[in-house]
Amino acid sequence: MNRRKFFRNSAVSAAGMLSAGIPGLTGCLDSAPPAGPFSSSGNIMKEVMKYRKINTHEHVRPDISPGALIEVSDRLGIEKLVISSIVTEYSGKSATPQEFRDCNDLVLKAMKQYPDRFLGQAFLNPVYGKESLEEIKRCMDQGMTGLKVYNQVKINDPLFYPVIEKLIDLKMIILVHAFCGLGMGGHRPKYGNTEPNTSIPEDFAGVAKRYPEGMFQYAHLHGGGDWEYTCRILQDYPNVYADLSGSNNEADAVDFAVRYLGEDRLFFGTDGSHFQGVGTILSSRLSDAQKEKIFFCNYNDVLKRSGNHVN
Amino acid sequence: MLIDINANTGHWPFRQTSCNSCRQLVARMDESGTDLSVVSNMNGIFYKNTQAANEELNEELKSDRSFNNRLIPFAIINPVYAGWKDDLDTCLNKMGIKGIRLYPLYHDYDLTDPSCVELVRYARDKGLIVALTLRMVDSRSRSWMDITAEWNLRDVIPIMKEVPDARYFILNIAGDIRLSQADTDLMIKSDTLMDTSGRSTSGLGNLISTYGAGKFAFGTHTPILDYLTGLLRIESLSERVADETIKDLLRAGNARRILGI
Repeated sequence: MNRRKFFRNSAVSAAGMLSAGIPGLTGCLDSAPPAGPFSSSGNIMKEVMKYRKINTHEHVRPDISPGALIEVSDRLGIEKLVISSIVTEYSGKSATPQEFRDCNDLVLKAMKQYPDRFLGQAFLNPVYGKESLEEIKRCMDQGMTGLKVYNQVKINDPLFYPVIEKLIDLKMIILVHAFCGLGMGGHRPKYGNTEPNTSIPEDFAGVAKRYPEGMFQYAHLHGGGDWEYTCRILQDYPNVYADLSGSNNEADAVDFAVRYLGEDRLFFGTDGSHFQGVGTILSSRLSDAQKEKIFFCNYNDVLKRSGNHVN
Repeated sequence: MLIDINANTGHWPFRQTSCNSCRQLVARMDESGTDLSVVSNMNGIFYKNTQAANEELNEELKSDRSFNNRLIPFAIINPVYAGWKDDLDTCLNKMGIKGIRLYPLYHDYDLTDPSCVELVRYARDKGLIVALTLRMVDSRSRSWMDITAEWNLRDVIPIMKEVPDARYFILNIAGDIRLSQADTDLMIKSDTLMDTSGRSTSGLGNLISTYGAGKFAFGTHTPILDYLTGLLRIESLSERVADETIKDLLRAGNARRILGI
């Protein structure tokens, strides 16, 4: 971006006050500070809107209307949303076949409501092997484009192998809930993981090595876990991608992730944290071209493999 | 005009961060169009004698005269440490501070400890703002050497009850923001600004409905959090929720009023 062309809008109001100094402060000003790109009248929104975006990690729930998701997405220029519905540990459910079918029906309904905006992902529980494979067929036949799994079973558990092999056949990606809390890797087990069956970076490394032709998406890289540790573990596994969703928008995380994972393995995502999802990429030191890849192109390349890409 | 009411310099000991100095901060402000930032030196969170951090910040501010017109210093004061009143007087009279930042969780005292109440009253009498940060980092990704506790919004209420006529900044609002009706009323009556850096301000439109537009201001929590999310929460508000007049209050108007600039 040419920053200079923006150095105008707020200079007037700022200069008026600053040229006289901040009352109560010492010092003087040689010249008014330059006004940057985002200082006046929402110029940051022009920067937001200039990138096409696929939100690769979002959810629909019975208590959240799809329309509300569309509304906030419109405000942030998000063109497509990859949505799933899951059974979490807070629901009191165990993700039985009927329960994961109900989740997927909710997604299918939203897809029909907003066919130009939502890309659906199927949810399943590999404890129920036969029913899971049947559910993949049911959902993909109705236009879903990938799989989302939660913490019922770790991704490197043999129960997952038939599911992973099916997704490899379909050339589709698996989005896997993940966390990397203190003590990962067995170094400080006294901290442990709040969710025992949640996949940790080492689980992704294991399954990526077993299935180098598979595509795995590490969920919410900075969703509260240790993103530095995660990137260091995933560095050498090119078939593991990471989405940048999550509520904990720590500075420098995106730049760090590009350094270790490369600019082609990162996806934009929100997982409910819409402003953080956009803001953290926008704040990074990446080039416009790199941001375009993360906001849109990288995931579209994944969709292209199964013929589900966005034009 | 744009004013960031929540910026830090200094070193975060558990993770490498960029934008740690006044020079780097001003460069980042220039890139993003921020005219002024309220800043303190987060080394003072970790020094037992916090005055050393305030002196470091003052020396840095003196090193380039342009800093004085871009950065508004707040001092970090520990009211259970020796000589805090002398420190505060020095910071006020010789360093030009506009407020103080308190870190009870890190400095290991209760917000309603008598010495803290005395400090807040003293700051009030001197016309200084009292800044309370609900958390520095997300405890889920903390270092094993960092503290585990975080505040919810209700945790700052006791000091506001003790000293209701002080002026407050409440920063990096994460976690539970629900208050009782009585505490909500107290917050509305108080002279308080909450910054937009924390994740619990993502529903800014609803918060404005509850507390009024005069209670919020742009904040970054730099260099811990990314620089632009707090601004995005303001600028992406729909016209129906916040027109340009309200957005100008959030960008700078509210901060200018409470800072008296």
